[in-house]
Amino acid sequence: MGAPFDLGFIFSFLPKLLTTLSTTLLIVACSLLAGMVVGFIIALPRLYKVPVLKTCAEVYISFFRGTPILIQLFLFYYGLPEVLKLVNLDMTRTPVLVFVILTYGLHTGAFMSEMIRAAVTAVDKGQVEAAYATGMTSYQAFTRIVLPQALGIAIPVFSNLVIALLKDTSLAFTLGVMEMTGKAQTLGSATQHFIETYIALALIYLVISLCVEKLLLVAERRLLRHEDQGSPVKKRFTLHKKSSFRTIVADLGSGKGGGA
Amino acid sequence: MKLDPSFIWTAFVQILSAIPTTLYITVVSVLAGFVIGIVVALIRIYRTPGLYPLAVGYVTFIRGTPMLTHLLLIYFGLPMIIDGLAVQFGWSFRSVSIPMIGFAYIAFSITAGAYMSEVVRSGLLAVDRGQIEAAHSIGMSTPQALRRIVFPQALAASLPNLSNSVIGMLHGSTLAFTVSVVDINAQAQIVASTNWKFFEAYLAAALIFWGLTFLIERATALIEKRINLYNRGGVA
Amino acid sequence: MIKLEHISKSFGRHQVLNNIDLKVSKGEVVVILGPSGSGKTTLLRCVNYLEKPSGGEISIGEFKLDCRHARKKDIHQLRQKTAMVFQQYNLFRHKTALENVMEGLLIVKKLPKEAAREKSIALLEKVGLGAKLDAYPSQLSGGQQQRVGIARALALEPEVILFDEPTSALDPELVGEVLEVIRKIAKEGITMIVVTHEMGFARDVANHVVFMDGGVIVEEGTPSEVFNHPREERTKQFLKRITPELNYSI
Repeated sequence: MGAPFDLGFIFSFLPKLLTTLSTTLLIVACSLLAGMVVGFIIALPRLYKVPVLKTCAEVYISFFRGTPILIQLFLFYYGLPEVLKLVNLDMTRTPVLVFVILTYGLHTGAFMSEMIRAAVTAVDKGQVEAAYATGMTSYQAFTRIVLPQALGIAIPVFSNLVIALLKDTSLAFTLGVMEMTGKAQTLGSATQHFIETYIALALIYLVISLCVEKLLLVAERRLLRHEDQGSPVKKRFTLHKKSSFRTIVADLGSGKGGGA
Repeated sequence: MKLDPSFIWTAFVQILSAIPTTLYITVVSVLAGFVIGIVVALIRIYRTPGLYPLAVGYVTFIRGTPMLTHLLLIYFGLPMIIDGLAVQFGWSFRSVSIPMIGFAYIAFSITAGAYMSEVVRSGLLAVDRGQIEAAHSIGMSTPQALRRIVFPQALAASLPNLSNSVIGMLHGSTLAFTVSVVDINAQAQIVASTNWKFFEAYLAAALIFWGLTFLIERATALIEKRINLYNRGGVA
Repeated sequence: MIKLEHISKSFGRHQVLNNIDLKVSKGEVVVILGPSGSGKTTLLRCVNYLEKPSGGEISIGEFKLDCRHARKKDIHQLRQKTAMVFQQYNLFRHKTALENVMEGLLIVKKLPKEAAREKSIALLEKVGLGAKLDAYPSQLSGGQQQRVGIARALALEPEVILFDEPTSALDPELVGEVLEVIRKIAKEGITMIVVTHEMGFARDVANHVVFMDGGVIVEEGTPSEVFNHPREERTKQFLKRITPELNYSI
């Protein structure tokens, strides 16, 4: 199977794979944006307990968290044109990339909404009470007090989600998108040096993941600079066993991470 | 090509036959991953000299790269290593005799191991230090304290994460199609392309996965209820 | 003058407050006592609508609010006339001591930044924290946090400041500094309603003492009336149980 192992190929493959990095990053960036918008919209009815809409949001989240991203990709790629045909919308000329970004966006949106909800609920209830007691309106209390604190709390989960999304984009090749993994497969078959291509591929993913992680860690430190660095944040959340934010963080992290 | 609702059912029935394969992959990778995870987590917590950097490197690499690359690296790399060794030592065993699903088992176990180690580690760290001190204070040895006091509490604390990891591996098993294993996803592909009804087939597959995920979540909730009896106080 | 009339509150079928009437004159310090579960904290939280009363009327000066048809605007107005000091301090965690005090001035009172800053610094100096302006809550002791909380309430110049057990989350050695600050501002003629377990403080500082139990006001009067000559059996029992603590805490 394949040609004998040759370390030199790894290095010669790296620049070739990097030419498709922009496609991968484009998918990540667009889906991330879409996901944040979707996530926010989905989180609101759950935070404010709006009757019917809340149930819809829950079903949405359950579906996107309950089925593999690979299946979702196929489902949207094949299904959406057929559904839209019913309302006389022709999608046969739509580029594949649109389907890919749409699917990843909706998928990430489900996880984002969980993240937003968890982070907002993790902000101590006393903070809102103090804001009200100061005479703030509920909008002011949310934007000035809850949101800035929730942002800091959400960052570790956000970091996990971005990395998970990056890794998930490796599946876009199944729909024929030439991103890094797709490129690696072509390179592999052309040269028969599969193992070297995949090592190069893994290295690129690893470096990007680590960069994302480091960058967001800096952001987290900045946003949580008001917390006595090291202990109190974590301590505060483990106080409440049931709604422990660390569990939620780890939850989403591994829930997504094991995915793909 | 027109939407054919009745075919969803037909596809559903045809895909059912692939459920065992998906479950085998999930169960094997979760169990093997759990064992790897415990070992790696203990190495990291106790900072075993020599092994510690290896464990950290393993977890970092696996978590920083897509599961697909793990599978492909094992699929292409393992035969090379095995056959190379076989030639050198004159074994009669050749990588060709490894069944395709074997690669999936091995690769996914390695993937699961890294994620499980994080689950186990955070579970162990969630147990209050005072618990082990209290165990020592009534004369227990460290292994006794770990087995009787720490592990049960850690398990309860990490149950939600465990459940998520299982679901993650269930969903991840769809990648097995790249090494020609016929799991639910691959079966859906077959049913779809032979009947030229892609949407219906994938819809059926999605429903099956949704159902399986739901079952895992229900089971977790049940276990959690049993296991967390001690945690039911209204203090928090 | 603050007037509570027929305030009731129930959680589901459990009646927590039953037809409470209370008058607080300007500049008066009212201390509410009572065993836990008596409804005293709930009553305090009803005054600024952190709990929604099931019925009754709240009036502060000319302003009047019927709890059965309270609109958002009315609640907002009510809250601007009151301020609260919380048991758990509830300082805004992402803001420094100075920013905590300034926040209400900037956002609610719409003061210009410089004026808000000046006023806040003066108040923080008053509560003895002039050196801690830029400290985050996580860097302050409980006593210091609570003093920032008091400065934050004072800044709004409310008609009344509500104190919800302001010292019960504090370590014993920190209780004194907080009580000292409250005592000081009480002397300045600021209207206060205080829920507390500090009997010594109640005796010294209060103009009026209210004893609550089971969601009703059992007895009220001057400190000497309530402490030295309680009329009701329930008050006597409560004081008997609580007085030994007094000896320890002093």
